[in-house]
Amino acid sequence: MLPRAIKRLLHQATLSDQSYRFMFDRAPDDEFVVIDCETTGLNVRTDDVVAIAAIKIRGNRILTSARFEAIVHPDSELEAEAIKIHRLRRSDVEASPIVWKVLPGFLHFIGPRPLIGYYVDFDIAMLDKYILPLVGIELPNERIEVSRLYYERKYGNAPPNTPVDLSFAAILHDLRIPSLGQHDAFNDALMTAMMFLQLRDLTRRGVRIARQRASPVFNQFGG
Amino acid sequence: MPKAFDITNPPFDRLTPSEAETLRAALDIGYFSPGEAIIRRDVPAEALYVVIKGIVEERNEADLLALLGPKDTFDSRALVHDHSGHQFLARDETLCYVIPRKVALDLIKANPRFAAFFYREISRKLDELANDEETGRYGSLMHAKVGELFLHPPVFLAASDTIEAAGHLMREINSNALFVRDGERIGIVTGMNLSKAVVLRRQSIQTPVGALANFDIVSLRRDDFVSSALLLMTKHNKRRLAVRDGAELIGILEEIDLLGFLAGSAQVTAGRIDRASSQQDLATAAREIETQTRVLRRQGVKVEVIAEIVSDLNRRLLSRLFEMIAPAELRTSSCLIVMGSEGRGEQTIRTDQDNGLVLAGPMQGEILEAFRQEFFVALQSFGFPPCPGDIMVRNPQWSRPLSDYLADLRRWIVLPDQAGHMNVAIVYDAQAIAGNEQLLNDAKTALIDMTRGEQAFMAHFARAVDAFETPIGLFNNLITSEGTGDALDLKKGGIFPIVHGVRSLALEQGLRETSTDKRISRLCDLGVLQRDFGRDLKQAFRFLLMLRLDGQLAASAGASGTLVRPAQLSSMERHLLRDALQVVKKLREIVGHHFKLGVF
Repeated sequence: MLPRAIKRLLHQATLSDQSYRFMFDRAPDDEFVVIDCETTGLNVRTDDVVAIAAIKIRGNRILTSARFEAIVHPDSELEAEAIKIHRLRRSDVEASPIVWKVLPGFLHFIGPRPLIGYYVDFDIAMLDKYILPLVGIELPNERIEVSRLYYERKYGNAPPNTPVDLSFAAILHDLRIPSLGQHDAFNDALMTAMMFLQLRDLTRRGVRIARQRASPVFNQFGG
Repeated sequence: MPKAFDITNPPFDRLTPSEAETLRAALDIGYFSPGEAIIRRDVPAEALYVVIKGIVEERNEADLLALLGPKDTFDSRALVHDHSGHQFLARDETLCYVIPRKVALDLIKANPRFAAFFYREISRKLDELANDEETGRYGSLMHAKVGELFLHPPVFLAASDTIEAAGHLMREINSNALFVRDGERIGIVTGMNLSKAVVLRRQSIQTPVGALANFDIVSLRRDDFVSSALLLMTKHNKRRLAVRDGAELIGILEEIDLLGFLAGSAQVTAGRIDRASSQQDLATAAREIETQTRVLRRQGVKVEVIAEIVSDLNRRLLSRLFEMIAPAELRTSSCLIVMGSEGRGEQTIRTDQDNGLVLAGPMQGEILEAFRQEFFVALQSFGFPPCPGDIMVRNPQWSRPLSDYLADLRRWIVLPDQAGHMNVAIVYDAQAIAGNEQLLNDAKTALIDMTRGEQAFMAHFARAVDAFETPIGLFNNLITSEGTGDALDLKKGGIFPIVHGVRSLALEQGLRETSTDKRISRLCDLGVLQRDFGRDLKQAFRFLLMLRLDGQLAASAGASGTLVRPAQLSSMERHLLRDALQVVKKLREIVGHHFKLGVF
């Protein structure tokens, strides 16, 4: 696999639609975009995107008033399992545009800003599947992984063999962020944005997240 | 559009659906680092904020005024009135919804109910908002449970028992209906059944009741809704229902008591007291008083009216008891008084025995002692616990001749100590209930004469307003511990400073009113308090009494009910509580300045 920097150069050359050159511009200062996709499953090759949400962050503000949200029509069948998770009914999805139609709007919304997500590589891989044939590039944006920021704050100095829990629920709990109802692309993106701002602030201030002891220090029932 | 923004959280529940959509569409979310200013002092706020998580401090120059937690909205003053003088700081990692100033102001202009939240004066705000809050609190009376109603006791007769026996039993237990057991069958026999048999059918009073009883009874469970009881009565055309707890019959519900409950029947209880012919009758009526409070609260009756009704019932009860057991000589030559909150008429739920007796002159020891004891025991059996400070008729210190009271008053004023101050306050708040009222009047006149111009005494007396700090600092624990930590003591933090501050000013003016509300009105008339402030003070006081009442009703059995856990209040109530405590703080300043307490 090519290092990302080289890929970026390559894609500047392969960009088929020159109107998307802005994707390679300098990002506005202190602006980010949080993204989240809901998909029909976890296999990038065979599954499809059914909902995309993106929210801008400027400084310490989450700009929910200006957001990108789309429900899209997938190519593959919406699996019953995925319906259960996202509570999107087949009829919701069928009434919506196919993914190609919403991508230009999405690309203009995110621009060259760094993309933030929870397991963001998966979301980006999903999106690249459609973007590459459309404009001839994969998303060149810098990526910020919140589970990684969280790992550093909580487990960065942990002794070996410390059990690690990077689940979304664990992060919410440690940061005391109220759950807004998961598996809705917009709410997931919003909670991810909240996580990012708080984790970034903790990092700047050098504050760590306390770890529970994995095992009790003494056995309270023992002799 | 953050769908998660809770539109049912006051004041946003006052928005129409389309206004709510406008609001949601305009929302951003802000993150604030610990110590960061969200609103700076004397800078118009650019937005209205609603806390999502974290704790926000409200401060003026040096003081912490309040702590805000999730769902709290701030700051209406900074938004509408340009300079709030207060600063809002994030105490820990804080997230807030950010409603742009313009959007909030447009909604305020368009929606008067929403705008009420932003009034400057707490009195107007409470007028508009407290009522809204109340209606939603208990739901309708129809959702009360059958077990909350007055039930006649389940007393059983055998089918072979006579009409005569049934009649006597009914009289004994003061009920008009009895259960009749006939083998496996259970029926009900009523006073009307007995009368018809004897009067209309000329049956012998030795007739067994089995033949008169109605075995076609309809029953329901104690945790069924009151509305079901009403339905069953209508459907089966019954005047009474049997109430069960599991398989056991626990009482009989009469139509009249159900209707009384729905209509509010303080007058029924009052009548019961007035007609009472025995202590047993009074005990029954006493039990109803608390039920009355609950019902009145549910009906959305204002707390000051509830206090008036409950005080009236309690006083009637004491007065009737006094008539029943006081020897003749005592009835004309003494005055029964109630003191403390009972004297001020600010009691919303049955309290300790706070009563005393003023005698015209010395009295023979034995008769007096017998009365003291009997009065105390009777009240205790009615469910009035002994006063922890022993301020009761039973205590010879509080049932003695007027001349002794006067001597003590003089001592308390000349050589004051804390107990002396408390006693002066107690006597000043006293109300005559029965006997010769003039005795208490004389005591009060003397008290007012003795304190007139005694600036040093008055200053010491007033100082107790600062006995307890305004409990704002507690909010932190309360919010973070989600109701399991310490609670806010409404009595110490809010109610006492108002009562005592107003009492001090009233005593200095020689007012004869006992209720805090009336004292405030008179102080305004005399120009001691400004009229606007007087209005705010009254409303704040009522609001605190209402919160206390709700606490008491919730705690019902046992707990004092003066503790409130802000985490359990609605965000609107917390907002109003914050305003009310600000008024308390201002009163303290006024009293402090008035009596020059700064020199201490």
